[in-house]
Amino acid sequence: MTKSRSLSDIILNVYIGFFFLYLFAPLLVMSLAAFNAYDYPSVTQWKGWTLKWFGELANDDRILKGIANSIIVALGVIVLSLPLGLAGAFVLTRLEGRYNNLLYALLVSPLLMPGIILGISTLIFWGRFNVPGGLLLTIIAQSSFIASYSMLMFMARLQRQDRVLEEAALDLGASNFMVFRRITIPFLMPTIITAAVIAFLQSIENYNTTVFAIGGDWTLVTEIGSRFRFGLSPVINVIGVIFVIFTVIAASLYVLQKEKERQRKLATA
Amino acid sequence: MHSLIRSYGKPLTSLFVCLTAFWLLVMIALPQAFMIEHSLWHIDRDDQLGMKIDRAYSEMGLVEYDLKAAKTEKVRAEFQTRIDALKAQIAALEAQETEPPKIYGIHNYTKMSELHFTIFLKSIVFALMVTVLALVVCYPMAFTIAKLATPYKAALMMLGLIIPYAINELLRVYAWLMILDYQGVINSALAWLGLVSFEAKTWVPFLENPGSVFVALIYAYVLFMIFPIYNTVETLDKNQLEAAKDLGASTWKTHMRIVIPHAKPGIAVGCIMTFMLSVGSYSVPQIMTRGKSGDWFSQLIYRQFFESQNWNTGAAYSFSLVIVCLAFILIMMKSFKVGIRDIAK
Repeated sequence: MTKSRSLSDIILNVYIGFFFLYLFAPLLVMSLAAFNAYDYPSVTQWKGWTLKWFGELANDDRILKGIANSIIVALGVIVLSLPLGLAGAFVLTRLEGRYNNLLYALLVSPLLMPGIILGISTLIFWGRFNVPGGLLLTIIAQSSFIASYSMLMFMARLQRQDRVLEEAALDLGASNFMVFRRITIPFLMPTIITAAVIAFLQSIENYNTTVFAIGGDWTLVTEIGSRFRFGLSPVINVIGVIFVIFTVIAASLYVLQKEKERQRKLATA
Repeated sequence: MHSLIRSYGKPLTSLFVCLTAFWLLVMIALPQAFMIEHSLWHIDRDDQLGMKIDRAYSEMGLVEYDLKAAKTEKVRAEFQTRIDALKAQIAALEAQETEPPKIYGIHNYTKMSELHFTIFLKSIVFALMVTVLALVVCYPMAFTIAKLATPYKAALMMLGLIIPYAINELLRVYAWLMILDYQGVINSALAWLGLVSFEAKTWVPFLENPGSVFVALIYAYVLFMIFPIYNTVETLDKNQLEAAKDLGASTWKTHMRIVIPHAKPGIAVGCIMTFMLSVGSYSVPQIMTRGKSGDWFSQLIYRQFFESQNWNTGAAYSFSLVIVCLAFILIMMKSFKVGIRDIAK
């Protein structure tokens, strides 16, 4: 970067400043309202600092049940979508011929489709077999696109796989199953962990698909969604604050980890 | 496929194939097919049916009366056939009442009212506007992070982008609601300046303007535009920028002739994702408008399913949305000359 402070540099810096203001100001407003004693979420009608909304959250049974449901769904999504994504990645990386592109397009299509469509099609399809909306259907609907995410991650990893190792193991008399368990799975382990974390976060966060598949049940997010219609209170802001705190902690840990790695690399170099 | 069998053997390979097939068929293709099938029929409930049945009964009563009064055998037989015909007609009508017939056709697509069709078109136009706006807003950011900032600054900015994204979509949108609401932050600031008054309700009704949905949509999906562009711009050789500068190209020209052509796949992906997410977003318009301004198409779909219980119409509306998204993807792929492999990364 050149040191010259030209007009365009200043404009760009101002622009970036505004951009981050656009990103963070709303979060600040939302977090602040969680500590306001006023009954309706607000930062302008300030009635003094309070922590009572945190206490209300702890006593809010529907929200607590929603959190439990969200975690059940997220775990179910991990269990269902990771094997599907992995299987799809294996088939796609080894399948030759012109069907490869078609299969690829079909398997990533859930990512290119609006979330509500995935929820609706799942609801209609399973409705024919008398499976009503609920947690199970939510797991299935969410997995249809989260599996695509994991598949793309596994494919990226498998493309860097050195097949010589597997060949060597086979030549030395290892069984196919042993090769898979002792060579392929350890090689994929970092991706399996990342994919599980991403699947978990995607599932917890999802609203557009879930709202169609959830039926009479609810997750944390659909419960928040229905509160916008009935009973908006600063309890929602408290949930926001908790999300913010978790995210900032996770992000800082991630940065620290990266920094440590960098320093270690510098030390060994 | 042979190399898969060679490495992992037949049992594992068939397991992979079965899982893939299950995913493809049971979770992707068949649900879509069932949705389309659902959109192609409707239950024909005739509103006049009850009246028709009543009329047939009363007519039969009259004929039966005539039958009793009939003198000759010939007239009697005539009345008898009329009664039989009426009986058959009533039976058919009653069967139709208890089990209305399923009629296949494009009825669900053609019966879309003018209002709903306007909303359909409006949602598409709005989503296109959001996409263009997001591109304009995000491109400078993506370029700065990829090429101008020092590595440390770039990492920090990346983090700054990811943190808001990690917070739930609903809550992100809700934060904007608090700012733009009638008695929200902006209106309060205006009131403090004496420009509006809460008592006289002269606040600026931001929420009744689709612009507020735009702001929240861009806010919600900013990352889907920035990341793909960032990824492609990052692979651009910095020397090309230096060379352009040395040869006297203006910033504008450098971007038009070098950066943007190089970033084409990223721009296409960013636009596809943003358009798809915006046009299909249920949460953002639902929260931002709170029923105060017009519905978006996604809200109409929701209503068809959960308020009017008309799944057939809902399925038809949903499939129309799929068609729009597919068309947009194909147009982008064609005009930006990118393949499916570039899109989903």
